[in-house]
Amino acid sequence: MILGAHRASADLGSLEPGTHLCALEPDAARLDRVAATFVGQGLAAGDQLLYVASEDQVDGLVRSLSRHLDAGQALATGQLLTSSLEGAYGPSGPVDLDAVADGFRLAAHQAQKCGFPGLRVAARMDDLAGLLGSMDEVVAWERKATDLQRDLQVSSVCLYDTHLLEAGQGATLAREHDGMAPDIDVAPIATFLAVDDPWGVQVRGEVDVSNRHLLHRLVLSRAAVTPRLRLDLEGVTFADACTIARLRSIAAALPEGGQLVLARVPAVVRRVLELTGLGHPQLRVEP
Amino acid sequence: MRPTSCAAPTHTSLVYDGDRAYATEAGGFLRAGLEQGQRALVMAPPSRMELVAAELGADADAVVFVDEAVAYEPQWNAYRVLLDHLATTPDVRTRVVAEQVLARRGPAELVDYRRLESAANVVFAGRAVDLLCPYDAGALSDGLLDIALRAHDGLQLRGSVVPNADFRDPFEELASLAAVVPPPADATTLDCSDESDVALVRRTVRALGSRDGLDQGVVDDLEVAVSEVLTNALLHGSPPTLVHLYEEAEMWVCHVQDGGGLPVDPLAGVVPPIEPSDHGYGLWLARQLVAAVDVGSDLTGTHVRLHVRMPG
Repeated sequence: MILGAHRASADLGSLEPGTHLCALEPDAARLDRVAATFVGQGLAAGDQLLYVASEDQVDGLVRSLSRHLDAGQALATGQLLTSSLEGAYGPSGPVDLDAVADGFRLAAHQAQKCGFPGLRVAARMDDLAGLLGSMDEVVAWERKATDLQRDLQVSSVCLYDTHLLEAGQGATLAREHDGMAPDIDVAPIATFLAVDDPWGVQVRGEVDVSNRHLLHRLVLSRAAVTPRLRLDLEGVTFADACTIARLRSIAAALPEGGQLVLARVPAVVRRVLELTGLGHPQLRVEP
Repeated sequence: MRPTSCAAPTHTSLVYDGDRAYATEAGGFLRAGLEQGQRALVMAPPSRMELVAAELGADADAVVFVDEAVAYEPQWNAYRVLLDHLATTPDVRTRVVAEQVLARRGPAELVDYRRLESAANVVFAGRAVDLLCPYDAGALSDGLLDIALRAHDGLQLRGSVVPNADFRDPFEELASLAAVVPPPADATTLDCSDESDVALVRRTVRALGSRDGLDQGVVDDLEVAVSEVLTNALLHGSPPTLVHLYEEAEMWVCHVQDGGGLPVDPLAGVVPPIEPSDHGYGLWLARQLVAAVDVGSDLTGTHVRLHVRMPG
């Protein structure tokens, strides 16, 4: 799958889990932008994000993300994880690629245990050849990663600075990916961020047919960890009937003692609740 | 003896001339029910509610009164008021007097009111309810009195109900009221074939609605209604999906057209889903949010027109 540019934001929001993307850019600033797009859209969609990069690159990402969403909160809840290349692959490089694959597997499993529907990884790859020993090893890893990620349903973008590559290496690397990541940053119409205390989700923006499935899968993932959860809807500017109806169904299907609280409910959501008459004992609408 | 709540529902019109006739007929209808332990609901203008209250005296305490300015705003809200009322005591039969001020309605709303009156024959089948719809012979044109004849299978005359020979089959009547009206040539048309376009349509409706001076609350509700109808078109219709915006007869019209799909049920969204469901609220919600909703289909596809009132 090659992502085009004009639908890039919509495609990233509902990126098929397990998609292995690549970015080949001639400078760090453009790689920063691709990383911020990928991480920002992934967080907004409710997934857990791991950014493998240097401290400076992480700082730059957090600054860039903060224009669209509460990056500090994402860091505090662990929805946004960061790691150095050494931290992700081991200080002296991986013993073998299977060890890297095991690390991936563990991280994907951990994401679900923490109440996220999926894991996405953005990684600055510039020093990987040094760590793995050669560019051939990097290409071998990329080849392995495509199948592994599809298997684990983990999407990623591998960020390469083409100035550090030799002629022809870019094309070789690109071939080992499902497509190229977009480098434009259009803010999604809604953000669905995890909240730890009280356990739940913070919803901002507009929820409709284009993105409601992202909210629902995050709520289901949070409910699977703790079936008592709170949706902070204060920043919601639109929600259609199907969004609300499905939340009611999720609440109704919670185990005994479970509860879905709709908190700080804006007028537009109250109107839909009132006119549809949707309600359930396990769905509590805060006054 | 069969409990009275099991008898078939009735939908009767009363063409009255003057306050005295109204009070005697509507009051008598309600009193007969109250004497049998039935419930009573009146949705009517204040002047009519006063006549009923005076006629019933102390018995009026047992009647639920809802001002028509609330009950019929918008018109399909009357179904919600009625369904909510019936739901509170499903085993007790209810007598309902239902009348709104038709003089304030525009052409699109009057067409929708014809649908509302005809559909009532089907929607309330199986419910323990007797509906009496008064029509003011002194104030209404022949065209409007015609609704009294076409949509009710009984006519109340001097305290008794006689069969109505002019009653039209509700499905035939609804089909005759479902003609597609094409958008005018000068309409603003948006191509909305992608799910991400629903948000763009909301922005456009907000911008153009504000430009044309629509009330903020009207625009808010129209944004919800058009999102619901457009989502239905995207999920259940076929491309191309278009939204036309234009003015027609004092109304601001938001017209959703798609390439067509399954035949449109003439009763779709007239009542909400009976059991809570993940979907099926779109058209119901639209009818609760805008002044009038036209639904029709032909070779050009499926057309849903949402009408809201222009200011002034």
